[in-house]
Amino acid sequence: MTDVTNLDGAITLVTGAGRGIGQGIAQVLSERGAIIAVSDLDGAAAEVAADALNAAGRTAAAFQGDTTSQDSMDALAAAVLDEFGRIDVLVCNAGVIGAPGYHERTDHTEADWDATFGVNVKGFVHTANSVAPHMRDRRAGKIVNIASHGGRKPRGARAVLGNIQAPYSVSKAAVIQWTHLLAIELAPHNINVNAVCPGTLWTPMWEAIAENRKASDPELAEFTPREIFEMSVKDRMPMGREQTPRDIGKAVAFLVSDDASEITGQALNVNGGAVMN
Amino acid sequence: MSTTPGSRPDGRSSTDETRQLSDKVALVTGAARGIGLGIATVLAERGSAVAICDLSEDASRSAAEGLVSVGHRSIGIATDVTNRASISAAVERTIEAFGRVDILVANAGVWAASGLEERTDYNDNDWDVTHSVNVRGVVHSAEAVIPHMKERGSGRIVNIASHGGRKPRGTAIGQTLGLPYSVSKAGVIQWTHGLAIELAPFNITVNAVCPGELWTHMIEGIYTNRRNVGGGPADLSVRDGWDERMRDTVPLGRGQTPRDIGHAVAFFASEDASEITGQALNVNGGARMN
Repeated sequence: MTDVTNLDGAITLVTGAGRGIGQGIAQVLSERGAIIAVSDLDGAAAEVAADALNAAGRTAAAFQGDTTSQDSMDALAAAVLDEFGRIDVLVCNAGVIGAPGYHERTDHTEADWDATFGVNVKGFVHTANSVAPHMRDRRAGKIVNIASHGGRKPRGARAVLGNIQAPYSVSKAAVIQWTHLLAIELAPHNINVNAVCPGTLWTPMWEAIAENRKASDPELAEFTPREIFEMSVKDRMPMGREQTPRDIGKAVAFLVSDDASEITGQALNVNGGAVMN
Repeated sequence: MSTTPGSRPDGRSSTDETRQLSDKVALVTGAARGIGLGIATVLAERGSAVAICDLSEDASRSAAEGLVSVGHRSIGIATDVTNRASISAAVERTIEAFGRVDILVANAGVWAASGLEERTDYNDNDWDVTHSVNVRGVVHSAEAVIPHMKERGSGRIVNIASHGGRKPRGTAIGQTLGLPYSVSKAGVIQWTHGLAIELAPFNITVNAVCPGELWTHMIEGIYTNRRNVGGGPADLSVRDGWDERMRDTVPLGRGQTPRDIGHAVAFFASEDASEITGQALNVNGGARMN
């Protein structure tokens, strides 16, 4: 049994789409007919991801962009418009867990706060700023921000992932609030803005988290990062399994479809029930 | 909608309606009219057989006949969700007719006891009826299908709550009169969370959709009350007063339709949402946010 959300011809810009969740989102949307502008800080990764989509019979093009720079994102949006003529859908996904060296540290640093705020918050603002005027002119658009269930209220139990995740979680809470406010601002222009909050996925980001836990907890020294990840999933997820980038892509596909035309300003957890809202 | 050449044409569904729920079987309570009928219609269009369960036998049958007449599979079953035996019998009849129940949509709900058009405060009857239908009815409906879904190792439950069950925005009309309803809908959301945890090990997801305001019998009653005794605009018809209120208070500037709620239910019931459980999603034009 399949579900085919028809996004035929929707020009879609996905940031951070060279790997991980962003790549999964790009794959699902392209399978459902969207034309993908694959954007990544790592231009080579964007090329590889776009090539893979084209090789599978989809339509995609690669773009290099740094979400921390408004100029870079303005240039990127202009390049996408030059290539495809319009942008129907924007998926702000590019994010970081912390500053370089994160996986060796047991507490957050100033650099972690700067990196998470710069990429996860200001990066989303820059990206929206670069695309929203175009959507306003056309009086149509869908924006989905990828937050995290870590941006929701903590569950009260011991913070299993440690204090070091605080900058990340705070930045993702900010993404949710940004989603609410941007939705109000853009609603009169027929633009929907929503967030998807992924749970626990085996991506380069979670590999860094697992390496960090391995380094900081002697009881975990004998386990591989993947084993540490699986233990966390079993402990924390009611459905007992991890999510995949494609799962996130499916929720994004719904939110950017006409089926969700009355949904705006909402954040939806895709996390096997680990945090509920 | 966009008019740029090459963009998606107006009014076109973005989902392949024949495949999203092909060969599924859904039971929808309160489905003879209003939101429930909109949900039943969308699920049927997307390939699901639908058991239409409502209090009135005639209304249930007539709604089912409406779906059958356009080529869908549907039966109507007189059902009182406040009565465990009645909803259990409806589940059994659905299994007899269609072989199983994949999807339960617990939608049947009430806003207040009768006479609400003229009252300015709630009474004990309002508390009783909202609790027994909106909370206990939703519980009974789940209990009636859970053993069957557990046995099959799969299932989807979607509860229809309301954005009124979320935290208030600080100002709202009919707040006092609407309290029993809002409290009951907050109960539905909490029930959704708790049941999701209980059923997750059985591969059954449980989610809620929280509609905003729709022009249904229920909303007509609420706004008739507002116009009669609540200080609503007396120079406008009830419908016009509601439209004006939507333009003023909903970010997207409009009320929702039963089909909009059906689209969200179809998503939660589809394979696309297999990793989503315990969540409540507002479909309300941004009137409240979560």
